[in-house]
Amino acid sequence: MSPMKLCVPGERLCSTEDCIPGNGTYLRHGSIFASLAGYVLRKNEGEELPVISVVRETEAQLLPDVGAIVTCKVTSINPRFAKVHILYVGSTPLKDRFRGTIRREDVRATEKDKVETYKSFRPGDIVLAKVISLGDVQSNYLLTTAENELGVVVAHSEAGAQMVPISWCEMQCPRTHAKEFRKVARVQPEYLQA
Amino acid sequence: MPVDTKRIRGPEESQSPLFFLSPDKAPKASSRQGVRGNGEVRPMFARCGLISQAKGSAYLEAGNTKIICSVYGPREIERKDETDMKSGRLVCDFRLAPFSCSKRGAWIQGSEERDLSQTLLESLQPGVCLHRYPRSQIEVNVMVLENDGSILAHAVTCASMALADGGIEMYDVVLGCTLRQNGNTCLVDPSYSEECGSWQEGYGENQGCVTVALLPNLNQVSGLNADGEMREDTLADAVRTCMDGCHKLYPVLQQAVTRAVKKKAPPPEKYTFTCHSPQVLF
Repeated sequence: MSPMKLCVPGERLCSTEDCIPGNGTYLRHGSIFASLAGYVLRKNEGEELPVISVVRETEAQLLPDVGAIVTCKVTSINPRFAKVHILYVGSTPLKDRFRGTIRREDVRATEKDKVETYKSFRPGDIVLAKVISLGDVQSNYLLTTAENELGVVVAHSEAGAQMVPISWCEMQCPRTHAKEFRKVARVQPEYLQA
Repeated sequence: MPVDTKRIRGPEESQSPLFFLSPDKAPKASSRQGVRGNGEVRPMFARCGLISQAKGSAYLEAGNTKIICSVYGPREIERKDETDMKSGRLVCDFRLAPFSCSKRGAWIQGSEERDLSQTLLESLQPGVCLHRYPRSQIEVNVMVLENDGSILAHAVTCASMALADGGIEMYDVVLGCTLRQNGNTCLVDPSYSEECGSWQEGYGENQGCVTVALLPNLNQVSGLNADGEMREDTLADAVRTCMDGCHKLYPVLQQAVTRAVKKKAPPPEKYTFTCHSPQVLF
């Protein structure tokens, strides 16, 4: 295998007639230039032209984008919304925490007005959510859990033990057998360990 | 203006020992002869990826000038603006260490450093793809460890290397070069004594310093800083000479960045498998 070519930002890779620009590249005046420092990769995707991209071994810093599933930790709750810290985007951990908000009407898909945040989340819960908006000037990222697969994944009871989900709205503590209300996520079967 | 209240200054009558040094003889024109010509830049040493906590970092040495830069980001912005929704923000911090010049400086950023930070920001901004990082900020911290002339130009080069090392998307790297116009001679990449010149020359004609920040592959000038009094044609020639000087620095930067990429991770061998078209797998 011939050694892969390295490039620095701004290097001209090829013209648009030879390849399609991929990650880490940009188009200018009919030529494809690199925008990252890394290895140049040409992949045949099945279309007529190969896709040229620049890869770095270290995972590119992903920013939470609209429609992405994120894993977050609840930091504070309020009758109107819950504030969270976004920890993972997809399966990539973030180096710096971004802040997000889950509004009361975005917690569930049904009976939105009857939602009580105190019965859906508690501070310290790990929640799977989806980004619906990057937010405007004042607010943080807006997230939603209004789907079956979204909601609380890991929660600790008031006694301190990790709770087991019973239904979509309840979790039980294994130590005290007390039930607590949460908006529980229905985790896909392939992610559960047999 | 914040004042340094933590250091004990000497008694009222004390004076700096620098006042008692015998005055420097005028810098000889031969200070460069035998070592490098007037149009040559100093040999540069550059390395990337030395600060492990930072996203990207770079260290640069040109003659005795030593500059280190670290890049953090993209991070969440604390104070938000209308403009931040569409593109990210670049924050530059230029600092001269107190031990970098012959006269001891303060740890607190002075007005000159704030000025240089702003110029650094203006030079780097056209090079970074900020629209790919909405609602985030990228921090660039430059520290000059030893000041031996043309710090702004080398800081620009060092900062671009750190940004490339940190995996921040850029349109092109930004290179900097300084030129000192001394009457009819121009000195590229001046050292500190050449940059200051002697007080006798200060009254002559055509005295000044020009710093140019250039994007080499796109051939665009992103920063131009000129100081002093020069004629129009001299200034135009100076800018052109600086651009040539920048092009000479490009191979060093390329080598340093690619070396750091290779060191961080070997070429991704696993990608060769997925290069095959789907039919081959079955």
